[in-house]
Parts: sequence; C-alpha cells; structure tokens
Amino acid sequence: MEISIREWLALAAFASATVFALFGLVGLFRFSDPFSRMQAGGLAGTTAIFSTFIGALLLSPSWEMGARIVIIMLFFLISAPTGSYIVARFVWQSGFEIGKTPKKMLRGPKE
Amino acid sequence: MVMTTLLLHYMQWFLLFCAMVCIIRLVVGPTTADRLVALNILSGATLGFLVVRGVYQQRLLYLDVALVYDIFGFLGFMAIARFLRDKLSKGGE
Repeated sequence: MEISIREWLALAAFASATVFALFGLVGLFRFSDPFSRMQAGGLAGTTAIFSTFIGALLLSPSWEMGARIVIIMLFFLISAPTGSYIVARFVWQSGFEIGKTPKKMLRGPKE
Repeated sequence: MVMTTLLLHYMQWFLLFCAMVCIIRLVVGPTTADRLVALNILSGATLGFLVVRGVYQQRLLYLDVALVYDIFGFLGFMAIARFLRDKLSKGGE
C-alpha cells in the first residue's frame, strides 16, 4: 500500500481530531457544572471539527471541493465561538455559579 | 488511494459516534445549559460529518448542504437561546 504525503498529513489531522474529540467528550460527562462542560465542549466542538476540515481539505479531489471546504472553514471560525458565547451568556444570566448547580435549575427554567 | 478511502471511512464512523454521545448528553443532561452545550457540539459534529461524506463520495452537493446547515443551525441556535432566556426572565423568580 503506497501512502502519499497528503495522506500522511491527513492522517495526522484526523488523529489529532480523534484525540481532541475523545477528551472533549470525556470532559462533557466528567465535569460537574455547565461552565466546565462548556470548556470541554469547546475543545470537542472547535478543535476537533477544525482538524477534521483540514484533513478533508488535504484529501479533497478537486479545486471546487477545496474552495467550498475553505468557505465552510471560514464560516465555522465565525459561528462556533459565537455559539459558545451565546451559551455562556445564557448560563451566566440564568444564575449558575462556578462549581455548583442551584437546585431550582435541575428541572429546567420552568420549575 | 486505498488509504484515502480508509481514512474517510474511519472518520465518518468516528463522527457518528461523537454525535451519539452528544445525543445521550442532550437527553440526559440535568439542566437546560447542559443541553445547550451538547446541542452546540452536536451541530459541529453533523457539519464535520457532512463535509467528510462529501469528500468520500466526491459529490459537491453535500458541501453546499453543509454550508447552508451551518448558517441555519447557527440562526436556530440563537433563536432557541433567546427564547429560553425570555422564558427564564418571565417565569423565574
């Protein structure tokens, strides 16, 4: 099996995506309050997906596909941090404190 | 060429696995904030899956769908967060 240099680089990108996504998902379940979970979620949601895009860009067969992936990457660079910011503001305004969860929030905002 | 197919195939399964774990968090998550965090990651994983699938099948259509999905997912996410905040400030103590 012959492996070109593009495939080696894509392998490295996919491996880093795997590592970041796995640790982010572990953090999503192990951490106790939403702020810490958001940190793990930012790890899995931004770094891993961006590494996946870089690997897909390296493996893309034509220029049209590469250009579209670059546009998606640029938009993702804008939308992912903004989404995290919206979550953070929601969590902050709904009265969480770092390290503990208030009792009235355990069933959602209604109760 | 074999290696390319192998890598893209593996990455599709891995992103599906990530989406499954995020859905578990989305269903289980005790507070609304946890569910929003899981939804954020889930939309990213879906976007990555669409891009990898498009490269794997060598079809441009998947990438166009991925771009539109990203834009509308972001708008929908903003709307959900705003709705929940209004509900919280009206109904909460």
